[in-house]
Amino acid sequence: MEAGSLLHSPIPWNPKLPVRRRIGSTFPRFFYFRAFSSSSSSSSSSSDSQGGYRGPKPRRDWIADWVSNNDDIVRSLPIYVGGASLLAVLLNRTVSGIAPVADASSSQSRADLLTLGLAVTNILTGLVWLSIRPKSVSVVSPQGVECRRIYSHLPDSVVSELIWVWESLSEVTCCRSLIVVYDSRCVLQIGFAAKSSIVDAEPVAVDANKLMQGSLCQGVIKSGAQSYLANLSLYPGKSELPFLPSNTQAIILQPLGEKGIAIIGGDTIRGFTTSDQAWIALIGEKLDATLAKNVKNVPLAVQDQL
Amino acid sequence: MSKTLSFNPLIPLKMQVIPPQFPAKKTRTKSLSISARLQNQQQQQQLNLSVLRFTLGIPGLDESYLPRWIGYGFGSLLVLNHFVGSDSATTTPAQLSTEVLGLSLAAFSIFIPYLGKFLKGASPADQATIPEGTEQIFVMSQNISDTQKEDLAWATYILLRNTNTIAALISIQGELCARGYWNIPEKVSKANILDWFEGQIERIGLKNLKDTLYFPQSSDSVLWEMLPKGTRSLLVQPVLQVPKPGAIQMEKIEGFVLLASSMSYAYSDKDKAWIGALANKFGGKSLRMDL
Repeated sequence: MEAGSLLHSPIPWNPKLPVRRRIGSTFPRFFYFRAFSSSSSSSSSSSDSQGGYRGPKPRRDWIADWVSNNDDIVRSLPIYVGGASLLAVLLNRTVSGIAPVADASSSQSRADLLTLGLAVTNILTGLVWLSIRPKSVSVVSPQGVECRRIYSHLPDSVVSELIWVWESLSEVTCCRSLIVVYDSRCVLQIGFAAKSSIVDAEPVAVDANKLMQGSLCQGVIKSGAQSYLANLSLYPGKSELPFLPSNTQAIILQPLGEKGIAIIGGDTIRGFTTSDQAWIALIGEKLDATLAKNVKNVPLAVQDQL
Repeated sequence: MSKTLSFNPLIPLKMQVIPPQFPAKKTRTKSLSISARLQNQQQQQQLNLSVLRFTLGIPGLDESYLPRWIGYGFGSLLVLNHFVGSDSATTTPAQLSTEVLGLSLAAFSIFIPYLGKFLKGASPADQATIPEGTEQIFVMSQNISDTQKEDLAWATYILLRNTNTIAALISIQGELCARGYWNIPEKVSKANILDWFEGQIERIGLKNLKDTLYFPQSSDSVLWEMLPKGTRSLLVQPVLQVPKPGAIQMEKIEGFVLLASSMSYAYSDKDKAWIGALANKFGGKSLRMDL
């Protein structure tokens, strides 16, 4: 950008050069300006009135984009290439009239063997790529109603942190429901929830005490480690979570210290990757710190008065 | 007030909490990378990879690069065969065509692992390496509230831990937090580190960045002075203040998150999504209001 503007307006950059020399020395001047602009890109931009970003911009990675978009074609490409060259070698042999003998006697057969070896390598690579093609799992829409219940006695900062956790999870992972229970209170219930049969079109409320006493949560809190139930339909403990939509596919139970638990429901079997699990674990620690401070605040105020 | 200063262990001001992936010495062991890759494949549950995988069973050998070595080996043998095997007088056109075919196949085999890196389900074979001669630092602007200090410390910790990052820098409304291995010149004393970072940021103009920058290979990025030696990928994520719905104001730039890694193609789409979500945490909140 700066280089273009410099080339088109030589005069302000070189006021000392007399005008009569301009026509004769246009060629060297182009080099001068180009060298000048490339070597001092940071100082020449001081004339940039906005003070915008002056660094390099990344160029588009055409190959990476093309490969990611045409995944299937690229996977079978080595097979076609290998197979075609295999046929070409045999064809070459027959056309040139040399008997197709696979020994290393003549240099022609040696060259043929090496080419065959390369063709076979390509075919094998293509086969390996095809065999490790990831299976795509379909998304199951959760059956239930949207809800958004936040415990009312929380300060704004805690509420915004909880909302941030929900927004991040729902945008980045396959999470569709989030329940946070802390200190025997349901602090947050957001996303999809099971429809209540008693009150129509109302989401089922979370019975925090019953949840915390249940074996699922007790086990998780005792071990202090995250629990990932990748295919919820296989687990009988599902009955302890009546507030989640019945067709929730995967859940992550993240303990928040010793007093709380976060239940994250997703819509795909094995939908949470290891990266997601790691991030959720650390976010859980942060939530625990925030909520613990918030719960401690009330008795602290009492102590201050002593 | 004094009670809030006793930070919980989430804010590791000492270096011990830095996970064992970032030891002080440069110890790069390939066997670690292979076991991590296998573990990744077994646990990578979103992509259901089948079990068939050709392997020679040699620890430390990356089989996905096998076509490249075979390409080099056979290609050089072909060339050798052409010159040494027979004198050039007796080279038939058939042999020449085979050799041409063989050499182009060899070139294709050499190119194949590069293509394979971009397929779905491919996991990076490298492990992040620690640059030599640099020490870890952890500095933060002092005149911000404790909650924000905790947020920044936690954010840099989670970035260093969960992504292949070796150096992280977060700048929100002019307040900085830098952590990891940075290339700080010796003449800068501990007290002036923050000012030095400010100066570097001013030079590059990072404060006015609106779009995410991602340089997956070191040839793309100009190696800025402050980045550690051996940086191969760079990701700069701007933090934008989300305007309230219904407000006419434009998105304001609050700051940025800068991450450097010693691997190329270090940040996958998922990593970038999580980093974007983390950046949103800082957007829309004023530092001084959080007390």
